[in-house]
Amino acid sequence: MLKACKISYSHKKISILENIDVTINYGELLVIVGPNGAGKSTLLSMLANEMAHTNEPILFKKKTFEDWDQKELPLHKAKFSQQNIADIPLTVMDVVLMGRYPYFNSIPHQSDVDAALKSMAETDVVALKSRDYNTLSGGERQRVHLARVLTQLENDVENKLVFMDEPLNNLDVLHQHRILHTVKNFSERGNTAVVVLHDLNLAAQFADSIVLMQKGKIISHDKPEHVFTKEIISKVYNFPCTICLNPVNQNPLIIFGT
Amino acid sequence: MQNKLPLYIFLSLIVLILLAVTSLYMGVYEFEKHSFLEIFVALWNDDNSIPASDKFVLVNLRLPRIVMAILVGSALAVSGTCLQGMFKNPLASPDLIGITMGASLFAAISIVLGSYIKPYIPEFFHFSMLSIAAFIGALLTMTMVYRISTTNGKTNVIVMLLSGVAITAMAGATTGFLIYLSKEEQLRDLTFWNLGSLGGASWTKNGILAVIILFAFSILITKGKALNAMMLGERDAQHLGIPVEKIKKRIVVLTALMVGTCVAFSGTIGFVGLIVPYILRLLFKSNYHIILPMSAIFGSILLLSADTISRTIAAPSEIPIGILTAFMGAPIFIVILIRSKKSL
Repeated sequence: MLKACKISYSHKKISILENIDVTINYGELLVIVGPNGAGKSTLLSMLANEMAHTNEPILFKKKTFEDWDQKELPLHKAKFSQQNIADIPLTVMDVVLMGRYPYFNSIPHQSDVDAALKSMAETDVVALKSRDYNTLSGGERQRVHLARVLTQLENDVENKLVFMDEPLNNLDVLHQHRILHTVKNFSERGNTAVVVLHDLNLAAQFADSIVLMQKGKIISHDKPEHVFTKEIISKVYNFPCTICLNPVNQNPLIIFGT
Repeated sequence: MQNKLPLYIFLSLIVLILLAVTSLYMGVYEFEKHSFLEIFVALWNDDNSIPASDKFVLVNLRLPRIVMAILVGSALAVSGTCLQGMFKNPLASPDLIGITMGASLFAAISIVLGSYIKPYIPEFFHFSMLSIAAFIGALLTMTMVYRISTTNGKTNVIVMLLSGVAITAMAGATTGFLIYLSKEEQLRDLTFWNLGSLGGASWTKNGILAVIILFAFSILITKGKALNAMMLGERDAQHLGIPVEKIKKRIVVLTALMVGTCVAFSGTIGFVGLIVPYILRLLFKSNYHIILPMSAIFGSILLLSADTISRTIAAPSEIPIGILTAFMGAPIFIVILIRSKKSL
């Protein structure tokens, strides 16, 4: 699905990423975790083709991003970014419909409105439909943008790819789980999701594989049960922890400070 | 709301046409004996039943002036709306960020220097030279302001406005120096530039304006979706398949072209690019898909009304149109400043 070799990135001579190799498979939910400043967001930006880089090209479905038709690409991949809460003086519906811009020219078709409503239902923002975006709280705005990103990939294309940079910020427990269930659902239909998360337990519960990063390098890239071990986690996060089996779903359960 | 756009356009076009017809009747010269229809029919048939003065006032004075008001107003308003979309800020308008002054500085230079070669070239090329000079001035200042105020696609509004102040001061000083150097005939031209007036309208100028505006509009007016998406931030817009860099370059070049030509022909008429999008935002929110085409018509309505007032309110003399637009624009500028005090 997505293959990247030897990605490096430095900003003002401070190296942020060093020689990173990643391969992501079809139908995989990959979660990137790591302490602050590990380069998680930068890696995600790189993989999503947001930054120019001079290294070996990143291959998405065996093609470089440059080889893709720029009108076709938005139907195959989308990205949710950490919002810097910019004011957008439009209604919530208008903002979500932006996710359908690749599909219509000037006036949205009924199918676009339906797709937008479907995604809004998944992130629980249908009730806010005609509110002004600027009157929403941080968590509500977050969910509006999630709906926008989800609706962008609401189509018949097979093997789509979504990037999400900390999609759970500002969300309450219910919505955190709802979003992750939606993403999990999405990946189970043959699509791929690459998500940056901070909550290791949620990562352990939902991810097919984990990339653990520290100081611009990948420490471990494996199934959750292999990455989340007491030695690796307490060393990378520099904080003592205990790991046991979650009695409910048998995933690793990480308890810090013990 | 988006589906009603054709209706809004239709209604405002009717307003514009009514206004244009009213404006034909307004003025110092009175068409007493004949209706316009009769004058046009007489012109068409080339008969002599109509006094020559009627024909002259209508065809060579009033009509070109009305057409020019429509063209210039439209161009300035669309430029303002596009710039606001690109800078992602309702304060970005050609005059506040110094583009108009940059253009008029280059126009002034070409008047003073160009007067030496003026007698040897035809009228058409003379106007073209003036508009090319103004275009280059506008393009240079816009590129400069954008480079100074924007890093990684994010514009620092304070820096943007202050670089406008700096450029205006610089251009003002240079224009002042040129006035000091210039001969009497050039002096009149220069004063005309600084105040702004549609009094110099002619069919040649309107022809050049119309070509440039049609060309620019054909590319810009459909970019509403792209400007909406850019509110999300440039990276997110790119993920929606919007070619952000390409659109920004087009906006810079085409608005410079339109502002430059307007300045060359009608001087510095301020605030149109600020007032029109502001009013439209009150009516339609910031949906560029609607306000971009609407600003083309509302700009015409605004400038045509202002020009009609300017030539009738103190008849038989006329007050510079820049005074009127500034009276409308400055309070709106202050209102936007107060509203965005927190985010500046």
